[in-house]
Amino acid sequence: MRILIAEDEFVLCDQIRRALTAEGLAVDVAHDGEEAAFRGGSEPYDMIILDIGLPAKDGLSVLKEWRAGNVTTPVLILTARDGWSDRVDGLDAGADDYLSKPFHMAELSARVRALLRRRAGVTSPVFRKDAVEFDTRSGRVIRDGFPVELTSQEIAVLSYLFHNAGRFVSRTELSDHIYEYDGDRDSNTIAVFVTRLRKKLGPDFIQTVRGRGYMIDGA
Amino acid sequence: MRSLRQRAILGGLVWAAIIVAIGAAALFYFFDALTQRRFDTALLDRYVQVVAALGNSGGDAELMDSYLTDPAYQRPYSGRYWQVDGAFDATLASRSLFDSLLTAMPDEGTEPQFWTGAGPEGPVRGISRTVTLDDGTAWMVTVAESLAGLEAERKEIRQSLLITFALIGALGVVGAVIQTSAVLRPLNKLRGDVAHRWDGGGAIDPADYPEEVSPLVADINTLLQRNRQIVDRGRRQAADLAHALKTPSAILRNELEDLAARSVDISEARNALDRVDAQLMRSLARIRAQNSGASAHLLTDLEKSVARMVRLFRSLPGADRKTITTYMASGLLVPMDAQDLEEILGNLVDNAAKWAARVVRISAGATENETWIAVSDDGPGIPEADRREALRSGGRLDTSAPGTGLGLAIAADLVQAYGGTITLGQADGLGGLDVRVTIPARHGLGTASGSDL
Repeated sequence: MRILIAEDEFVLCDQIRRALTAEGLAVDVAHDGEEAAFRGGSEPYDMIILDIGLPAKDGLSVLKEWRAGNVTTPVLILTARDGWSDRVDGLDAGADDYLSKPFHMAELSARVRALLRRRAGVTSPVFRKDAVEFDTRSGRVIRDGFPVELTSQEIAVLSYLFHNAGRFVSRTELSDHIYEYDGDRDSNTIAVFVTRLRKKLGPDFIQTVRGRGYMIDGA
Repeated sequence: MRSLRQRAILGGLVWAAIIVAIGAAALFYFFDALTQRRFDTALLDRYVQVVAALGNSGGDAELMDSYLTDPAYQRPYSGRYWQVDGAFDATLASRSLFDSLLTAMPDEGTEPQFWTGAGPEGPVRGISRTVTLDDGTAWMVTVAESLAGLEAERKEIRQSLLITFALIGALGVVGAVIQTSAVLRPLNKLRGDVAHRWDGGGAIDPADYPEEVSPLVADINTLLQRNRQIVDRGRRQAADLAHALKTPSAILRNELEDLAARSVDISEARNALDRVDAQLMRSLARIRAQNSGASAHLLTDLEKSVARMVRLFRSLPGADRKTITTYMASGLLVPMDAQDLEEILGNLVDNAAKWAARVVRISAGATENETWIAVSDDGPGIPEADRREALRSGGRLDTSAPGTGLGLAIAADLVQAYGGTITLGQADGLGGLDVRVTIPARHGLGTASGSDL
């Protein structure tokens, strides 16, 4: 899953990026409103963390611009303004959740996971299919009661397929959602990750249809 | 200070009284003089008749009677008399004088003399003069008439004049009332316009008002604008300060958690940072309360603000497990700034939602003197002994649920900034905590609608 963090405070931004990267998310950052508006409007993010007090263009305006442009990506607003009116204004502008500073990183991670799941229509943080369990909180995978070792890219592919279970995901779409903006994208490597996942989780765990892509069915 | 309407009515009354008094005095004088003149003319005519009768009769009493045929001369004390005092003490008089005589009046000059004196039945006015007949005899001729008729006529005229003037005076007062209403209408409109613009509507257009009032409208616009600026500036400063302090605090916390993840004991540091954050939040809330819109005379639609808060809580994760119900009349206006009202509501509903088992109830109503808002839940409630503490600075009673425990205290600060009260109790029916806030009505502005000046 790929997310955008729009936060002008470099240190805080980096802390959030590290925490979310550690959970297997691909993270892009924007440090001002203009950049955030452009990135969020042009890249297929699965979720966006948006600071309200951004320079160049304030967060609420950026959010309104996205919503007006039919960008439906879930947005979590992060702000030093903790007034209740601000929260409603944020939600009215199209935000999906609201977290005020200072916050606990664990709470931010939980909110991010919840928003990603909400879009997938799932409430439990643990995905299950057959004998395989994928815990989005820790990125741990268990098969038949035993932990399975996965690389971060493998987790990213598995996570995206689980979050989009029941529909075919093309190779391009997958690479759009597991690589960062300036990451080294090679859609051929996707095939390699899928092959390795099948080897570790079972040959029928991921279906492939030529020309349509990959799918985890019945999760 | 007396109202403009009262002043105008009082002024109208005084003015009407002065006009009626002067007018009545002038007209009374005029009519008195007129009736007097008519009376005297008639008296003179009768004098001439008596003189003619005397001349023709040569002083014969029988003949005099037959010449002077006015029946009033025949009826005793009819009020109309003649008397002729002749030479050798002979006195002729009308029958109406009966057994009395008129006192002879001094005879001076050549013109007949008018006089007023006592008559047989009350005062009379008369005319006397000595005439000398052709035969050389001198006679003092006196004609008199009772003043009762004249007085009765004057009284009648005065009465009808008084009735007329009373009507004119009453019309004047009614006119003053109507005129005052017309003159004050722009001020009533101004009051309504101002009441609707405290909360940020555009400026009032001075062109909508008479030229006497439009400078006042311009001044009010300036004041409204300045008021909003003061509130906005205070808020902006608090927001800037919040931003400047909260982001570093968040960074510190994250660094600490990183250390904790590497098995460093950070419990002391974490506690210290928790205290800093709590103090920061409380202080910022205090600054906010000090910069509240309490001085800005705003009116906020309570139903709208409650709806916004309910929408917020229903959209938050986990909201589907709890029900928020609202009971209130529509159209309730609270004399508060919308942000402050929502800050109070948000903190109360947040607290209630945190502790409620299933139900949060928001109810509100208004009396003549205050608006009340109650937020209750079906949670564990707060024991009576601890309720004071819960409203005190950072008095966190239970650390088992997440949060700063400042919500109630922050709400209390804001409520107090508006001169309201906040009380904790047990919720009827639900059994949990009941937080009741009252905000006093601002008299002179009205709570729901403006009243007349």
